[in-house]
Amino acid sequence: MTDRTPHQPRFVGARILRLEDPRLVSGQARHVDDLVLPGMLHLRLVRSQLAHATLASIDVSALHAGFPDALVFTGQDIGALGIRANSDLPSVQPCVQPILARERVRFVGEPVAAVLTTDSYSVEDAAETVFVDYDALPVLADIETALAPGAPAMFENWRGNLFIEQSRTGGDIAAARARARHVIRRTYRNQRQAGVPMECRGVIAALDPTGRILTVWSSTQIPHLMRTYLAQELNWQENRIHVIAPEVGGGFGVKGHVFAEDVLVAWLAIRTRRPIKWIEDRREHLIASIHAREHVHVLEAYVTAEGKILGLKADITVDVGAYSVWPFTAASDPGMVAKVLPGPYDIAAYEATYRAVATNKCPIGTYRGVGRPAAVFSQERLMNEIAIELGIDPITLRERNLIGQFPYTNILGYTYDKGSYAESLVKIRELVAPDVERARKPEKPHIRIGVGLALFLEQTAHGTPDFVRRRSPIETGYESAKVEMHPDATVSVDSGLQCHGQGHETTFAQLVADQLGILPADILVRHGNTVTSPYSVGTWGSRGITLGGGAAHRAAGIIRDKLIAIAAQHLQARPETIELADRQARVKGDPTRAIGVETLARWAQRNVENLPPGMEPGLIAISFVDGPPDGSYTNAVHAAVVEIDLSTGQIKLKRFVVVEDCGTIVNPMIVDGQVRGGVVQGIGSALWEHFVYDKDGQPLTTNFADYLLPSAPGLPDIEVHHIQTPSPVTPLGMKGLGEGGAIGPAAAIANAVENALGVPVQETPITPSRVWELIKKRKPIAAGGV
Amino acid sequence: MTQRAAIVLNLNGVDHAISVEPRRTLADAIRDDCGLTGTHIGCEHGVCGACTIIVAGEAVRSCLMFAVQADGKRIRTVEGLADGEQLHPLQEAFIAHHALQCGFCTPGFLMLSLHALERDPDLGDEELLDLLASNLCRCTGYQNIVKAVRGAAAVMRAGVVR
Repeated sequence: MTDRTPHQPRFVGARILRLEDPRLVSGQARHVDDLVLPGMLHLRLVRSQLAHATLASIDVSALHAGFPDALVFTGQDIGALGIRANSDLPSVQPCVQPILARERVRFVGEPVAAVLTTDSYSVEDAAETVFVDYDALPVLADIETALAPGAPAMFENWRGNLFIEQSRTGGDIAAARARARHVIRRTYRNQRQAGVPMECRGVIAALDPTGRILTVWSSTQIPHLMRTYLAQELNWQENRIHVIAPEVGGGFGVKGHVFAEDVLVAWLAIRTRRPIKWIEDRREHLIASIHAREHVHVLEAYVTAEGKILGLKADITVDVGAYSVWPFTAASDPGMVAKVLPGPYDIAAYEATYRAVATNKCPIGTYRGVGRPAAVFSQERLMNEIAIELGIDPITLRERNLIGQFPYTNILGYTYDKGSYAESLVKIRELVAPDVERARKPEKPHIRIGVGLALFLEQTAHGTPDFVRRRSPIETGYESAKVEMHPDATVSVDSGLQCHGQGHETTFAQLVADQLGILPADILVRHGNTVTSPYSVGTWGSRGITLGGGAAHRAAGIIRDKLIAIAAQHLQARPETIELADRQARVKGDPTRAIGVETLARWAQRNVENLPPGMEPGLIAISFVDGPPDGSYTNAVHAAVVEIDLSTGQIKLKRFVVVEDCGTIVNPMIVDGQVRGGVVQGIGSALWEHFVYDKDGQPLTTNFADYLLPSAPGLPDIEVHHIQTPSPVTPLGMKGLGEGGAIGPAAAIANAVENALGVPVQETPITPSRVWELIKKRKPIAAGGV
Repeated sequence: MTQRAAIVLNLNGVDHAISVEPRRTLADAIRDDCGLTGTHIGCEHGVCGACTIIVAGEAVRSCLMFAVQADGKRIRTVEGLADGEQLHPLQEAFIAHHALQCGFCTPGFLMLSLHALERDPDLGDEELLDLLASNLCRCTGYQNIVKAVRGAAAVMRAGVVR
């Protein structure tokens, strides 16, 4: 992959304020819920109140009596439409989530009936009159119950309640075990949580007057994938479905799925020939969108006396709930853990078994980091426990196992491009040295201080081969952009990505402005619209800036070359002597020989007689950029400093330090913002957020009083330090960054708690009651180390 | 619930005569009946604060108030914050400090802060954190919101307040 950098970049690397912000601070943004169409019907879903039951009957007589104008649809009306998210890996047991339940419900909140009226209040009244008669079935509320012998099968023709069970191996694990001085075996658990964007989901669908075009406005991260799925499921042509993601209020992976509600709203719009609006409420979001995590990892490390890990064996089980999600499937989280556990360490033998267990809970989908926050928790907890068991300083132990040279091909065959693992450890050691000192000699007898860190890498901007290997419905790893310069030299960039907070309107403009010698303010970046942009895979997987931004950069480069060719003829100069800057094409070193970009743009489209012979008119270009086959590897180290009050169990996060390397930085302000926001989500994962179910599969955390998100107090200033190691395999050396912040905190904080109390932390969230139990087992303050 | 009440919502100085059910929330009335969709609904149970507005000089969560309770009262929403093209110091500070990412919670944070700073631009750091604990943001990690409000307070103290 080669990319010419046109000249000294002026905007790439600059802290430029976001171009999208004025509308967002003024109440002028338009989200799905802000759209109103004439004749629109509002949808309310009747949702299952039981976790597992057969549907005996659905009685709508009271609804018809009380709300004669209401429309109601059930699974019998909608038929076999569903969410089909099955990979063809050999062990997969396929399943279909019906769009509206038929015969059986499998989690509390599953859609059972659809009620439509003309306003959002009466539709809730009407939906409450639908009487659903259930026959309860035994509930599989956790992994143990679901896997117990004799447990009822979740789906017909299933044997056992596993969506998938696979293994990944490399090297000779038996030999590693035989050679090891120490075998260190530990079990780690992560709780069920979710992304919880502040805007809930929403969908509007409407046919145009001819009935030929179906437009779907959805708060989605994946407009094109949604179009493809809707076309397949509804048996429509893709050119007759327009998917538009207007302003989207956060996603974090949650909105990177096609949901039953998306298909349902589209189907209802076709069926009723009326615009249909569905806006999720917060309770629905918390019980029935998607959840994330809920892992159990059993790790076994085979280690030499010096602390070198010869082999790693992993058994990974994830409670993925009731259905497989599209496009990531039920295999996404456990498969990711199995893939990434070797991390930044040189491990010569590896064997992982991973399984996705079906239970009667909300389906598990992607959330910032996907399996990595859990994988890094286990990996970095294990590194600490090995260090403690062998009496080696934890940083030293990591250094002994680090990858030394790049590119490095790991035991599973993934090639890491280039990173700064060793440098980042050196840097973090310096940064937290004063805290390590304080931890040895705390000033107050009832306060313990602990320092912990997490070193990790993140595969970002994955290319197509990575998805082909997964054999999931994503299938492909490229991203695209269309760039058009208009006759007045302003520019439109159409990206198929959907931007929901990442700042693409600014960073893509920075990339394009440098190519074309114009200002970011001259550039309008549009996104989230299948009508205007080329096919796209969507905003997830830390791929936006590298692939979408890379595509915008390349497409702009094509236009740049054309502008220079026109200028070269006019200025009687060789193209390679011409640069674009300050809205001019000029001969380098000779400011008198110049022509305005605006003139060139006008000639290319309005006065085409001025073009060189044979040149086509127009200034429009499309570029598709596939990711590197194994992606590009961002790395970071996170360090947490905690204070634990031995008299209360209160844990205070005093410092959180990040040293990260995402290669070339386009906008440092946005990078820091992404890191900090991600870290705070990771802190929520570590300390507070937990979806709790009872043994009957009833969700107990159904509002923001019970499901605790981080809020402003109680958080330290997140200190962010950068190392920039440009990737040799991506446009401009950029690497993905969006997810990284959320990956390290649980491990770093758990290691800090262990450091403070001398007792291992095997499970998140690290609630005060868990800390209290650890305090009871505390050991004297250790001699040193992180 | 078909009985309706005729009320007037005075939004940013403009009267909106509407007819609403008594149970209709103020947030829904402002958004759906008056068409000012800058006020966002994030939880509808009074925790997230995205729908925070100022009613008769008090910051309120408009999802927890009925529209009929606001009849005739002076209501300020995010749409009234700027003076034409000239953004309010709070809006400028949110942009300058990168205090928003997706921006969904931003109107609520702006109105919450506006109310507090107009009452007391000398708000201390601890009080400010207490205040901002009222609302939820999922993107920024809050640090930049705290900085932005602090920055805006300095500008407002200097008397640039309109």
